[in-house]
Amino acid sequence: MDAPARAPASPGSAGVDRAPIEQFLIHEARLLDSRRFREWMGLFAEDGTYWVPAVPNQESPFDQASLFYDDRDLMRTRVERLEHPRIHVQTPPSRTAHLVGNVLVEEADEAKGEYVVGSTVIMVEYRDDAQRVFAGQQRHWLRRDGASFRIVQKRVDLINCDSAFEAMAVPI
Amino acid sequence: MRNGHADHIARLIEPGRVHRDVYTDPDVFELEMARIFGQAWLFVGHTSQVPQPGDYITTELGRQPVIMVRHRDGGVHVLLNRCTHRGAKVVNERKGNAPRLTCCYHGWSFDTDGRLASVPVPEGCAADFDKSDFSLGRAPRVGEYRGFVFASLAAKGPSLEDHIGPMKGNIDDLVDRAPDGALALDVGMHRYAYNGNWKLQVENVLDSYHVPFGHASTVNKQGVQFARREGDQKGAAVVETEKKQTAASWKDRKSYIAGNGHGWTSNTALDDGKRSSPAFDEYKRVLAEKVGAERAQQILTPRLHNSLIYPNMSIMGLNIHVRVIKPIAVDRTEVTIYPIRLVGAPAAMNFGNIRLLNVTHSAASFVQTDDLESFVRAQKGLRSHATDWVDISRGLGDEEPDRELNATRALATHEMVVRAQYKAWLGYMREAA
Repeated sequence: MDAPARAPASPGSAGVDRAPIEQFLIHEARLLDSRRFREWMGLFAEDGTYWVPAVPNQESPFDQASLFYDDRDLMRTRVERLEHPRIHVQTPPSRTAHLVGNVLVEEADEAKGEYVVGSTVIMVEYRDDAQRVFAGQQRHWLRRDGASFRIVQKRVDLINCDSAFEAMAVPI
Repeated sequence: MRNGHADHIARLIEPGRVHRDVYTDPDVFELEMARIFGQAWLFVGHTSQVPQPGDYITTELGRQPVIMVRHRDGGVHVLLNRCTHRGAKVVNERKGNAPRLTCCYHGWSFDTDGRLASVPVPEGCAADFDKSDFSLGRAPRVGEYRGFVFASLAAKGPSLEDHIGPMKGNIDDLVDRAPDGALALDVGMHRYAYNGNWKLQVENVLDSYHVPFGHASTVNKQGVQFARREGDQKGAAVVETEKKQTAASWKDRKSYIAGNGHGWTSNTALDDGKRSSPAFDEYKRVLAEKVGAERAQQILTPRLHNSLIYPNMSIMGLNIHVRVIKPIAVDRTEVTIYPIRLVGAPAAMNFGNIRLLNVTHSAASFVQTDDLESFVRAQKGLRSHATDWVDISRGLGDEEPDRELNATRALATHEMVVRAQYKAWLGYMREAA
């Protein structure tokens, strides 16, 4: 799914019940904070992608480097590695706390069950005597799936996306 | 270290070991900045990063900020990023285009060849003020090979030709993969940093010994790593699972040295006969169309894994990229990794390379992160005074000449390449700049 340009909330999202969507984002954050990475991966559609651009306003993951651009195959490799007993960069493991707020349903197509949801994320990570903060805007392209949703794309634009990072082992 | 005397420096390096001070002593680091990064040919950037007049990138040579900029006449200049008036960094963006380079402080404005073009309120200048005395400083020597721009901050020394001579073939190996015979470093970059000495990264790029252990988490239950090249269904056999040892094919890898601290490792054994995907097959077809089927076959037959152009750059032939190592402090290093766009290759092939480099070498990748953990732990462990020595003796005495390649060869799980780096290190460090 191509990432549409950033836009303010469209009139099309008026009247959409935000509560279940917000609940879903909180559930996702909790899975990450409790290191249930396999269940987190399960939130993504089979064609779902997880994207963390490496520059502000990055137009595409296809023509330049990204911090993360995982399809389900790469995500599976990532999760298997996070579960591996000898992942040195997670010895000891990261502890994280996500805060997701400013949730706005930007676009909604109730007939198709498709939603574009913008939010602000702050993740504090502690590992091996060091604490650091990641923060930025995130956007979820969601597809209704029964009583819940599946993520078609999750994009996280970190405010410091183009800085030199120390090793990042866990998804934002 | 109390002084930079040659005999003291020489005592830090022995045939199979180096003193911990080379990683931990701030005075040694200062001397490295003067004698290695102040003298050696350093990789600056690639001409494809500044295709048009006025295009620039900013980077550092050692710790010194520089601008690589293309002038109107097409020439590429490496200028010191420091206003000749009161010293402010002139260009603050990482890349961009500007007809003039203007200092934010008092507005001194420089042409893209470094000449001072104008100063505000010129009537206040001293009577004998001559703009031509206030050009931006420049790297005294700049050279280029197939778009790779190198600079030396010393006026004298071996030519670039003499310095990288033996490594030209390694650059060719990468450039020749582009159907149009040219690379472009215009598809972004990865940047990572760690609390450790710069040489930990330099040593690591040619270290095949660490892979089965350091990267255990990238290897599946069959001992095979994930696929790292477009068209591969799986990666290299790294671990022999029954005995939980390094796989035989991995142990066969070779490393090579060719003087000046440079070196490379042989290719990772993969099933190239089975390498296939729509993107790769199309790329292969385009390449063969441009250079002929036989030459394309030669180009696509892997020879190299990592190549190190000492002291600050490496090239990877497996999942292709250029890496630049930037020392910040004795215990702090930054690294930039440029994905490569093969000019003339199908967009899908270039995307395949970019996509896989994200998971091998971004700050959030599967491979690089475990290396960073090792570098950080090495720097911490080296605080110990239990012994002053770091062992680099694997395969000492087992090196052999490779006459065909005009190089010296050893098993890649040996440490010949590290010893060669310290030989070059000592060569720079013993001589006052």
